[in-house]
This record gives sequence, C-alpha cells and structure tokens, in this order.
Amino acid sequence: MSYLSTIDFFEDKDFIDKYQYTLRTGELDLSWMNAATEKVQCEPQNARRGLTFRDCDVGSYGFTDMPELIRQNRSFAPRGAEIPAGVPDLQAEVNRKSEVWAYNIEGYYEEAMSRQWNATTDVPWEELRKYELPEAIGKAYSQLLTFLTEVEMIATDVPAKWMGRLNADFFEVKNFIATQAMDEARHAEVFRKRALTTGWGLMRASKANECNLKFLRDADSFAEASLTLHLQAEGMVLTLFRFSELISPTEVDKKMFRLVMQDEARHVGYGMQHLKWVLDHFPERREIIHRHLDEAENFVFGGGYATEVLEPFIILSGKGMKKENIEQGLKITAQFNLKQIDEYFERLDKCGLPERRERSKLALAMEMTRAVIAAQ
Amino acid sequence: MAYFAEKNFFEDLELIELTQRVFAGDLTLNWYNSPTEKVACTPRDAVRGLTYEDCNVGTYGYGGLPEFVRNNYSMAARGSEIVPGLPDLGYTINRKSDVWSENVAALYEEAKTRRWTPAVDIDWSALKAAPLPADLEAAVSQLCTSLEEISLVMMELPSRWVSAINQEFLELKSYLCAQMIDEARHVEIFRKRALAGGTGLKRASASAEQALKEILFAETYPEASLACNVMLASLILGVFQQSAAISAVDAKIFRLCMQDTARELAYGVGHIRYHLQHQPQRAEYLHDYLDRTEHTFLGIAASPELLEPLIVLAGKGTSKAALADGSQRVRKFLQHTVDAYLERLSAIGLDRRTRSRLPKFVATNAP
Repeated sequence: MSYLSTIDFFEDKDFIDKYQYTLRTGELDLSWMNAATEKVQCEPQNARRGLTFRDCDVGSYGFTDMPELIRQNRSFAPRGAEIPAGVPDLQAEVNRKSEVWAYNIEGYYEEAMSRQWNATTDVPWEELRKYELPEAIGKAYSQLLTFLTEVEMIATDVPAKWMGRLNADFFEVKNFIATQAMDEARHAEVFRKRALTTGWGLMRASKANECNLKFLRDADSFAEASLTLHLQAEGMVLTLFRFSELISPTEVDKKMFRLVMQDEARHVGYGMQHLKWVLDHFPERREIIHRHLDEAENFVFGGGYATEVLEPFIILSGKGMKKENIEQGLKITAQFNLKQIDEYFERLDKCGLPERRERSKLALAMEMTRAVIAAQ
Repeated sequence: MAYFAEKNFFEDLELIELTQRVFAGDLTLNWYNSPTEKVACTPRDAVRGLTYEDCNVGTYGYGGLPEFVRNNYSMAARGSEIVPGLPDLGYTINRKSDVWSENVAALYEEAKTRRWTPAVDIDWSALKAAPLPADLEAAVSQLCTSLEEISLVMMELPSRWVSAINQEFLELKSYLCAQMIDEARHVEIFRKRALAGGTGLKRASASAEQALKEILFAETYPEASLACNVMLASLILGVFQQSAAISAVDAKIFRLCMQDTARELAYGVGHIRYHLQHQPQRAEYLHDYLDRTEHTFLGIAASPELLEPLIVLAGKGTSKAALADGSQRVRKFLQHTVDAYLERLSAIGLDRRTRSRLPKFVATNAP
C-alpha cells in the first residue's frame, strides 16, 4: 500500500510562490467564493431531533437523487461540492449504490449517534457484589460470555475492511460503518468485563464459531458480507441476546443484554433494509445471494459442534446441572434454536426472499429440533 | 467466496449424532474445567465504573502482552483457552510496539465518556437567527468543505488497518473504533454546518486530496499513524483552535471537535513514543519517511481552499485591510503549528527541528 502525491509540494515552485505571495500580500484568489455549487439552507424539521441527515437530503447534496452508478466522483470531494481538476482517484472498488445502500440508512446512523452508551458506567457493576452465583451457573455464564466476547469484533473488522473500498459519495454508509465498529468494540468490552467479574474469568474459545467468523470475513462483495454479517449472523445473535436476557442470572445482566440488543437490532435493521434495497434495485443478485446463504447456513448447521455454546445455554436455561435442570434447559434451548431459525427466515421473507425457506437445508435442523421438542 | 467450511455439515453423521446426544441430556462439558485464570475484577472507583484498567490483570491484562504475538491468529479472547484448529484470521500486524501506546486504554475510556451528537448538541436555529456576513459565511462553508474532505480521510485511515491488527491488541482496536466514530462525527458536523448556513458546500481541493491520499496510503501502520495522528492532527487541531472565534455556534463546534482531535494526537504521540522505545532503530526510518512526506502538510495547509478561508476568517472580512491582517495572523498560526508539531516530535524522540524542511516555508520572515 503506497501512493506518492503527483506533486512534491516542497518542490513545486508555482505552488510555493502562490502560497507565499498570498501570506505576504493578503491578495487572495477567492475564486472558491463563486464555486458552482447549490445554495441551500437546511433546517431541522423537528427541533427536538435536531439537524439530521434527512434534513440535509436536498438537491445535489442529498442521497435521494444520487445515481445508481457513481461515474463523476472517485475522490474525497464531499457530495455536492465543486470538484476541481486534479483530484486523485481514491481507488474505490464499490461505486454502485445498490451494492451498499439501505432504506433509512440515514436514520440508522442518526440513531446510532444518539444512542451510544458506555460499558464502563452504564452497567451497574457495583451491584454485582450483591450476587453470588452457584459454580455451575457461574461457569456456564462465563463460557457463554467467552463466546460472545470472541465473536463480537468480527462485526468491526468486516465492515471496517470495506469502508475504504466504498466510494466517498456513500459517506452515510461509511459513517454508519464507523458507528457499528464502535458498537461492536463496546460489545466485546462489556462481555469481556462481565466475564472477568464472575470469579471464573474467560473460558474456552470455539473452533466451530471461529471458522464461521473467517467465512464472514472473507466474503467476495460488500453485499454478500452484509447479508451474512448483518442479517444472518447478527440476526441470530439478536435472538440469542433476547433469550440471554431471559436466562441471565442477575438484573445487572438483564440490563446489559437490553443495551446490546438495541445496537444489534440496528445492525440487523441495516442488513435487512440493505438486502431489500439490493433485491429491489439489483435483482440479478438474487441467485448469488442464495448461493452465499447456502454456505452460510452450512456454517450455521456446523455450529452444532460448538458444545461450548450450546451446553452453557442449556445449563443457564435450566438453572443448574441436575437432571431436572438439564431437562428444563433442553426444552428452552430447543425452543430458542427453533425461534432463531424461524426469525431468520421471517427476516428474509420481509426482505423479499420468501423462497429461501423452501430452498434452505436448515429445514433439516428445524425438523431435528421439533423432534426433540416432541420427544420431551 | 474465499473460505468454505471443511465439510458439508448437513451430511455429517458425526455432527448429527453429537447433537442428538447433547439434546438427549448427555452433555460433553468439555469446556467446564477450562484451565484459565480465575479472576473477579471490580471497579476501583465506583464513580468511574469498571474500566479496562481495572481488568488489566494476569493473563487477561494488556500489561502482560508480549512484544510478538505468536500464539494466536484467531479472535479467541485474550486469556481464554486456545483450542486446536482455530483458523488463521489473516492478521498481518502482530507486533505490539507497531500499534501500542501506554495511554490507549485510558483514551478509549475517555472517548466513550466524551461522546457528543452533532444533530442535537449544536443550536442549529442560532445560525439563522444571527447570520454571519456573506463573505464570512462563504469562508466558513469553504473551510467546512475542506474539513469534511479531511475528516473522511481521518475516518478511513484507522478502518484500513483495524482488521489487519491482531485481536490480542483489543484495547487498541477498540480505540481505533472510537477514532472512526469521532471522525464520522466530524464528517457530519462540517457537512451540516455548511448546509445550514445558507451557502452550501464550496470547492474540493486537488492539492489537499493529493496530499491526503499520500497519507492515507502509507505503507506501514507506524507511518500511517505518524502522518495522520501526529502530523495531520497537529495541523487540524491548530485549524480548530484558530477557527473557534467565528461565532458562538462555530466556537462550540470547534471546541467539541478539538477534544476529539486532541485525543487522536495523544494517541499518535504515545504510539510513536512507544514504537521508538521498543524499536529505536526505526527512528532513522521514520525520519526518512517524514523527509519524504512532510510536504503533504504544506499541500494541505497551503491549498487555497483551506488557506484562503482561514485568512478571511482570521481577518474577519474581505476588505484589503482585513485580508492583510488575516494573512499575518494565519502566517503566525502556521509557524506556531509547525513549531508545536516539531516540539511533539522532539518529545517523542524524533528531533527534526534542524532536519525538517517545513519551518522554512512557514517562517514569519519567509519571503
């Protein structure tokens, strides 16, 4: 990775002369004062919400009128600014709006900015002193937290890896990616900190899940990366958070899961609205999406090897390791698994991919789970 | 797709058998006696909450991170049990002193505490209620156009590196995420400020973008961090300080941005200091890099799209006298900014006061 400016500014006599003349004389060019750009005065439409990107969606500055293919700007010139000759090509690899855009992207970004929270102070850590968890619960919970700590930052690395490849005209998406990176750093932080307060510390890493992370990381396109990261993986984690709130051992933990859920729901929202946008504007992608989901679902099914996630969940759901606890835990866990897959298909339905349910081999997993429930 | 599962799990009888066994209540519990360190961290100061510093203990802590991370290329959380078969996630930055700074955990905590929201933390209605004279508003818009351009690069730079950095450096990666969101906020605020003032955006800058691209595409992370977090951040912090006197609304905008950029600078200074403490042989390499790259400081600072609005705003108008006054003020500002930058480098262990070519271009007595 290396680029050398086409100009060495120390050596460019015209550039230096002009700069020094300007400073010496105060005689300015001022041609920028008459830049050929649109004159606008954006105002908040709702004083309580402040000045939002939606309020700034006007004319040549807006995102509504942005073309599907960005042909005019390959630099960092802000959308709507006058682009002079000589701006460099920033080597954006993604210049097609429907590869990255989502309905309501500006809303997701604004929400993310206004709902940032602080894992250091917004979780009442001091209150944990009131609780002493039985060994089985403490260990099972630490193991679940180990898994969550391990997986969260893939959702930083993957979008961050794509940010620099997107055309700068898609800055609302880039900004959203920045908020997601921060959200996920906070999630890794809060789960790690919670694990380190249990008395057990972190426990065992998960091979099956890490292979899935590598798959998420190595997608061929942003649209495929988003499909499996935001919609499939984070969607399933969102269901996991909801159940984790239910089975978590203290009120402190319930608060923690409520906080992470609001972020995760936003990421899933982006993923869904992005997929919907892709299907509406780039229908040729449909088969590629199915092919990518075929492999993503293979990883999901292979997640059955991750007993270091499944088993703590059973113990926490049943609130212990006695036979009756395990039986109860299995019932709740089976319901959870069923719900997780069902919600995944529902999300795809809503995005305009209803045929996935028929095509997916995950139906096998659902049959197995239903058999477990029936046997109980 | 570049990575596939090792098998088709839907046809994997071993997996189906394992799942059936677990769901019959026969748990493996292979994780239950994981040989990891048992700790119970608590907040040392209840008001400050549970910080990363409170969790800096034993095998979990960043204090004990080795200089070379050789045993973990996965996302396994630092201190957890590493099992066989974890995949390589492709990290190419695995040396602590290539990224680390002693203050990085504290800066991450600070970034979270000092978050702000451009949509609501600025009194946008005040812009319309007390508009600036047309020439000053035009200058603010041009300044904001340049700053939006620069902020995009400062947001993107950490994003280019974060996925290449080993997950063991968690606090550092988390800080880089905070830097991304700080700069996203700057992209947002400068754009909104320009669009709310009645003028709109003005002109992008070819010279500044050439210079910014050279910074953005640095070959190594220490080079990128030095150029962006120390050199460019020194300039931008100076621009923010210089611009804070335009109006009450703008003063608040620039003050808020200043605290974010000061944090970036604190990281950059801390990072290069740490880098040189552990790799002193790199000093000459970084000198050589700056010999080649410091011209970008001038490419940005002297671009008419940044320099001229600064002069108009410093002189508070476009009359001949105002511009003469403004240009003298900006000349002093540039000299002061370069002095401060070189002082910082000197404090880090890179004394360039006699080597750098920058001073001769910003000296107040320059031709």
